[in-house]
Amino acid sequence: MLGLWQAHLTFALLAFVVLPGFGFGRLAQGLRLLLLLAVSFVSVDGLSLAAYMRSFTDDVAITTLVALAFFAAVRMGLLDAPKRNVRVQLLIVMAALALFLYPATMGLSYLDPYQLGYDPRPLIVTVGVLAFGLLLLKNWLGVSMLGLATLAFSLGLKPSPNYWDYLLDPFIALFSCGALIGYAFRVVARRPTKASQEQELNQPTSL
Amino acid sequence: MSFGIFNGWRTSLSAGFAAIFIVTWWLHPERAVSGFAIAATSISPSRASEGPLYSTRFASSDLDEFVHASSVTSLPDGGLMAVWFAGSREGAADVQVRGARYDAIAAEWGEELVLATRESTQKATQKHIRKLGNPVIALAPDNRLWLFYVSVSVGGWAGSAINAMYSDDLGDTWSTPRQLITTPFLNISTLVRNAPVFHQDGTIGLPVYHEFLGKFAEYLYISPDGEVIGKSRISKGKNSLQPTVVPIDEQNAVAMLRYAGDSHHRVLASRTADAGRTWSKPYPIDPANPNSSLAAVATSNHGLLVALNDLEDGRFRLRLMETNSSLELWKPVINLDESPDPEGNPFSPQAYREIIGDKFRLSSGPRRLSLVDEFLTNLDQRVCKNHGCDFEYEYPYFIRSANGLYHLVYSWNNTFIKHVSFNDAWLMEQL
Repeated sequence: MLGLWQAHLTFALLAFVVLPGFGFGRLAQGLRLLLLLAVSFVSVDGLSLAAYMRSFTDDVAITTLVALAFFAAVRMGLLDAPKRNVRVQLLIVMAALALFLYPATMGLSYLDPYQLGYDPRPLIVTVGVLAFGLLLLKNWLGVSMLGLATLAFSLGLKPSPNYWDYLLDPFIALFSCGALIGYAFRVVARRPTKASQEQELNQPTSL
Repeated sequence: MSFGIFNGWRTSLSAGFAAIFIVTWWLHPERAVSGFAIAATSISPSRASEGPLYSTRFASSDLDEFVHASSVTSLPDGGLMAVWFAGSREGAADVQVRGARYDAIAAEWGEELVLATRESTQKATQKHIRKLGNPVIALAPDNRLWLFYVSVSVGGWAGSAINAMYSDDLGDTWSTPRQLITTPFLNISTLVRNAPVFHQDGTIGLPVYHEFLGKFAEYLYISPDGEVIGKSRISKGKNSLQPTVVPIDEQNAVAMLRYAGDSHHRVLASRTADAGRTWSKPYPIDPANPNSSLAAVATSNHGLLVALNDLEDGRFRLRLMETNSSLELWKPVINLDESPDPEGNPFSPQAYREIIGDKFRLSSGPRRLSLVDEFLTNLDQRVCKNHGCDFEYEYPYFIRSANGLYHLVYSWNNTFIKHVSFNDAWLMEQL
């Protein structure tokens, strides 16, 4: 069971964040999280529910786990929700890493960026620089995600020996790209167009 | 920008994060790639003076199962161990990885063994497993016997992952299988089919391929204790699979690939000059390839022997060909098995039964010969469909054992795994 610690934790945190909180207080939310953790151990045909989920998702990245833990803490009222600029900075970093990794690793080029995760020194330096940048921006969520992923990699907490598997998984990659596109659409939609500005100027005032 | 963050607990936290990156960098030095271990073939004087030898026999013995994707390795006592998958059909939940041992003195294969099942793999990996696929067996220079095989948790073969298990007593007992992590996309879409090669430091070089979105080939570096420690890309895109890699010397190797595209239907070739770190862009070579697996091995005269379906369509003829290391000169050696119809057209069940009965008797070897009558009464959908009955000889796997003998196993009409062995004297006679 210890070998699946990450699967159980992911199952409980994901269910906690996704399912409605019913306006429970902090203590009740804590009990709800523990209950979901217990549910992750329920066995069906010899496999726990967490193991079934892992069959489809594989072990998620440590960054995803840290993000889930953060939003669970927000839900429990232990931390404040991140400000918009913090979210956007983080989404830009994760989406940039995802766009660097995934298209090429799916066979689009002879260069396979996943190899960089096996000989990871250049990637460690790059992620370190990104984390330092987020530190200067006081983006503690981003620094924690990248820093704890790197710590977990150095401790070998996941079965994978590849640094990328600690930094990214398809879920955080798709979420980051999707959310960033959503932000971009909203920014464009909110920006007043020239026509609407002229229309606004030509509007008779109520005075 | 405020530098107030460098005060108090924030300073400590920042220093802590900096330390994490520095220590992680220090813990992961760049890995050097060691050269290919070129197997020394020791041919004893008595064997060198032996006359030509060519023999065939069936390695499998089950009469009911669909069998496919065989692999073989030589053992230190001169024997062999072969593995394949067997089940009611390819992709069925009841498919098992089976094997058998070859006794070099009796020159016959023993009873079938079950090495992995869907259930045993599910229990070991703690993942839901839908089906099992291609197995590959290989004896490492440290006498650790490795078995790699494909399993699928979700979807079709594009959802495959590779499992690895090993035996330190030459196959009597096996370790618990564990899944290799080979891709960042849910660890799916890596399959194994062809023989691994070994490096001088004990690293296993495993040729693999992907089938999710693209179809392309890669080369995995696996440490002697079974951890993926690196990879390189042999091809890209959507038209190449199942690389067979043959080292030429310590740094150079050639890879030949199954062509899965729609344009030229030729075998693809790629080369490395740095022990697999980088590969040249694959290019089509002379032999035809009907999107089917092929296998190659180095010969004593610095050439290569290749077993393949050199057809543009169908797998009704399996041919052995010889080529030079530049892959420019190709010479047919022998048709290992073929349909009596030169176009591979199907036969009526009555005609087929008679032909395949004769082929069985020529192929089976003495120990499996007694199965012929039961085999002929049970010809089923594995060979006969609505349009008639087909001959299919496919998925060759080639090795050369330490004593100089060549061993080839392949799917014989998906009803048996056929083993062909021959020596250099026989080969010289054919050329």
